[in-house]
Amino acid sequence: MEYASIDRELHIDASPEVVFETISRPEHIREWWYADTDVRPEPGSAGELVWADGDDPRAHVVSMTVVAAEPPRLFSFRWTHPAGESAREGNSNLVTFELVPSGTGTLLRFSETGFRERGWEAAVLEERYLDHGLGWDKFVPRIKAYAEELVSAP
Amino acid sequence: MTVTIDDDLWSAIGDPTRRQMLDLLLAKSAGTATSLSEELPVTRQAVAKHLTVLDRVGLVHATQAGREKRYEIDEAQFARAVAQLNAVGNTWDARLRRIKQIAEAIEKTKAPDTTN
Repeated sequence: MEYASIDRELHIDASPEVVFETISRPEHIREWWYADTDVRPEPGSAGELVWADGDDPRAHVVSMTVVAAEPPRLFSFRWTHPAGESAREGNSNLVTFELVPSGTGTLLRFSETGFRERGWEAAVLEERYLDHGLGWDKFVPRIKAYAEELVSAP
Repeated sequence: MTVTIDDDLWSAIGDPTRRQMLDLLLAKSAGTATSLSEELPVTRQAVAKHLTVLDRVGLVHATQAGREKRYEIDEAQFARAVAQLNAVGNTWDARLRRIKQIAEAIEKTKAPDTTN
């Protein structure tokens, strides 16, 4: 099972300018991600994605930091880093949207990377499920060591 | 098979205390808020709250045992959770579908100005 990256491509019948606004502007992020955000589509803009649940307006809060915003061709951000930490490789996932003009529409290339580098829960959980005898505490350092190997590889 | 993942499940499993609790429940096959709190550096009240979160996403289920609830891992839901987490790409598929719908709807409202 490969956790290193999720990659998708899809065609959208809308101009790259429209697609860029849709993926990057808070009023549209609220529509497709159901999250409120104070992050602006500018490099370095840092803030939160906030999901409400019932009477708790901040039931689920996740950090988000814009890496690149080059309308209308590139929007990328890091997210899920611990609150108060700066986003960097190893503490967050990197989401990248590339927008390529395609006819009258846009080819949207999406990727998310960082799962393996972080020892993400999916990998941990699968291992945990396959071998109940092995605790998170034993497994997480192993992933960390492996991630560091990856990082230090040329 | 269609796998729908929900952010609640990510959130439920994403918390380190809850993962420790799942660990303990897997190791001991069952536990109460009191017995779990004895092995964790958090209060019984906090454990009870975490158990409610795990219960809500179906990862544990409770049976009444005297004055306390006794929690067990729901193996079927746990297996489903693993499958869902493996299929994390599906969450993005759903989001990307919504992005497509929204962008195309916006484009349509602009169409009268751009068709010529």
